[in-house]
Amino acid sequence: MPVLSAVRRQEPLGWGSCLVFLAALALAFTVSGTLLAVQGKPALQALWLLVESAFGSRYALEDCLIKAVPIFLCSLGVGLTFRLQVWNIGAEGQFALGAVGATWAALTFPGWPWYALLPFMLLCASAAGGLWGAIPAVLRLKLRANEIIVTLMLNYVGILILDFLVYGVWKDPASFGFPMTSEFVPAAVVARIGDTRLNWGLLLCLAVGMLMSVFLRSTRLGFELRACGENVRAARYARMPYSFLVVLVMVVSGALAGWAGFLEASATLGRLQPSIMSGYGYTAIVVAWLANLNPLVIAVASFLLAGVRVGMETLQLDLQVPAAFGGIMEGSILLAVLAGGFFSRYRLHLRRAA
Amino acid sequence: MTPSTPAVGLRGITKVFGSVRANNAISLDIHAGRIKALLGENGAGKSTLMSILAGHYLPDAGEILIDGRPCHLRSTKDAIKAGIGMVYQHFMLVEAMTVAENVFLGQEPGFLLSPKAMREQVRALAGSFGLDVDPDARVADLSMGEKQRVEILKLLQRESRILIFDEPTAVLTPQESEQLFAALRSMAAQGKAIVYISHKLGEVMALADEIAILRRGEVVDEVPAAEVHSQSDLARRMVGREVLLEVTREPVELRQNVLRLSGVRAGVMRDASLSLRQGEILAVVGVAGNGQKELVETVCGLRAPEAGEVSVLGKSWQAFFADPSWQGGLSYIPEDRQGLAVCKGMDLVDNFLLTTRKGYSSTVWLQRDKAAAVAKELVEQFKVSPPDVTSQARQLSGGNLQKMVLAREFHRRPRLIVAEQPTQGLDVSAIEEVWATLLAAREEAGILLVTGDLSEALALADRIAVMFGGEIVDIFPADDRQRVDRIGQMMAGMKPDAEH
Repeated sequence: MPVLSAVRRQEPLGWGSCLVFLAALALAFTVSGTLLAVQGKPALQALWLLVESAFGSRYALEDCLIKAVPIFLCSLGVGLTFRLQVWNIGAEGQFALGAVGATWAALTFPGWPWYALLPFMLLCASAAGGLWGAIPAVLRLKLRANEIIVTLMLNYVGILILDFLVYGVWKDPASFGFPMTSEFVPAAVVARIGDTRLNWGLLLCLAVGMLMSVFLRSTRLGFELRACGENVRAARYARMPYSFLVVLVMVVSGALAGWAGFLEASATLGRLQPSIMSGYGYTAIVVAWLANLNPLVIAVASFLLAGVRVGMETLQLDLQVPAAFGGIMEGSILLAVLAGGFFSRYRLHLRRAA
Repeated sequence: MTPSTPAVGLRGITKVFGSVRANNAISLDIHAGRIKALLGENGAGKSTLMSILAGHYLPDAGEILIDGRPCHLRSTKDAIKAGIGMVYQHFMLVEAMTVAENVFLGQEPGFLLSPKAMREQVRALAGSFGLDVDPDARVADLSMGEKQRVEILKLLQRESRILIFDEPTAVLTPQESEQLFAALRSMAAQGKAIVYISHKLGEVMALADEIAILRRGEVVDEVPAAEVHSQSDLARRMVGREVLLEVTREPVELRQNVLRLSGVRAGVMRDASLSLRQGEILAVVGVAGNGQKELVETVCGLRAPEAGEVSVLGKSWQAFFADPSWQGGLSYIPEDRQGLAVCKGMDLVDNFLLTTRKGYSSTVWLQRDKAAAVAKELVEQFKVSPPDVTSQARQLSGGNLQKMVLAREFHRRPRLIVAEQPTQGLDVSAIEEVWATLLAAREEAGILLVTGDLSEALALADRIAVMFGGEIVDIFPADDRQRVDRIGQMMAGMKPDAEH
């Protein structure tokens, strides 16, 4: 009887891994299509509609870019922590705190000019988000608390704080009882680029993405971070500042998610309201793994998964596909790509048992 | 089956990893009803041999006879079918399930299970071998000794006839060890063949019927336990005295003190005092687990001394390790080179930078190009193969990895070197190179050599320290013939002054 066994590849797979990636995408689409067919929807037509409505027009592409910005910022942060094998799944809560921080600045100093107010809002968002990231880091180092649990729980706490504020002290008296703050003054709104619907936050993403690449590739601290993530014991042997790095990546990750919250509140909504929480922090985890934690690939993957969100809106309207289907697609893409990673790392070979 | 047919016969078993012969033409007989001890230092090839018997590896040469018939063990399943069972150091139990459930895991009698019958069967089995454990207890609630009994019951339930124990007392209290020995004797009395792997001399003496001694992948000695007179006799056989390689050791002028310990306590290590000067090699010998690990970790700054004083290169322990310089300081060549000294998933340049990064950075930037050029030179100079700095550390064999680590650590021009089992698992030519490198390094450094191989200590050391039970029993010059002859006794815990 022939026995299938897996052997670890000595050489990295190179271009073959692109093929594996495409095959995984195809598998994810097949699974999604099957689910649609089970629901009695025309599977092929629906998937085509999804792609076309996400990437088929200038309006749609702009939409994708707008949604890609918060996903990218959150993902860049969680990707950084994953490199150190610190499992921050709390981008959602850090995003909420960032939005709260920025809103506090906007509501407290409405008289400031934009060139003072916007940087201050960014600073407050970083501080609030960064603090939300620092808590699990410190708990992990001091009390050995599992950061997965702590970051997850802090998501709920963060979102509840946001709700508490917009239902309470920050509620706009003119909102007819709806939970939302009053509209931000124009100086607190990040402006749009030219005659597009895109805001200058996109430029911020570009800058921070490049900074992150340079940091990881060319700085000593970036090298130490990569080494610590690779082998903690060796890092200890080489006397690397592991504890400092854990706090650093969590604070940076929290601050980046906080920036995403700031941009969403300021540029997209123009105020703070509970609907700002739409799961970008969770999508960011999917994106980080799809991109293998590489900052530049994270940009591409953010754009693609933003596309799934944009396309899903049309699918909901035109074919009455439930909104949860978007989450299913996201999940099946991630699972397929992760499973595909096995073939990049291992070689299968058949041997005949005697 | 005639009484003379061994339950398992190994005939010329050879296993080669890269250029290292982990097992070289090993022949052994394991008899039913007997306890065979396999004694040897770490890396002597015990685990490889037993992994072959348990079906994890196929031997490169030689054959395995089960009850006299040749048998190919291609997988662990084959080994189980042949009646071979192994109790590993790390238990393989489902913590959330009961003892009885664990025992029957994977060998359930049918689709429907009778918990009561399973319980009774486990109870009966445990009773007949003196393995006292409650079948209803959850494994998570058990002590290490009880968990080990569950592992043994699993094998007995499968009716394994050959039971292999890999350092079983490493996790046990002394009382639990005694209970285990009683159970082992009871199993042997009921016709099981027992293989007992250990490097603890006392246990082996107390328990075994026959003792096979492995060194550097070969069976160097096989004796009935009754013929071994004392632990020191056994220690002498285990560490060997034969000259493996001839190296010329020119004396080097001794200069300033580089390491001083006085009355240091850390973990099991107690009251350790020694000093080391530039220009000499001080070898620390002893059976593994007698405090050498604690000594090394303390000297290398991985573990704070609990009492006593340590001074490294003239500074106190705290002051030295608060901000160690990358150059001209301390280099540590650890025993666990795969897990401690390198990042296996990174390339050789990154691995070179691991401990030298402070010398290859300006402000915040890492000068990777400069490091790559130096790494390339070192790889050529130390003949690391493959000579390609872009290959990942995992692609290197053990010997080449060690050369890489040595190249990196010597590049730091250390004044204190801690080398822990530096030649373990290396082939003879690599050992010669490592030895020559260490001897040459005395010009600039003092070297603390921790080794389980006495021939290495005798070939290299200027002075020898013997450790036992967490204490440094004695320190003496390597040319003190009388005391060198008594090293075996000291390793077995006898005081240096006591008469044999």
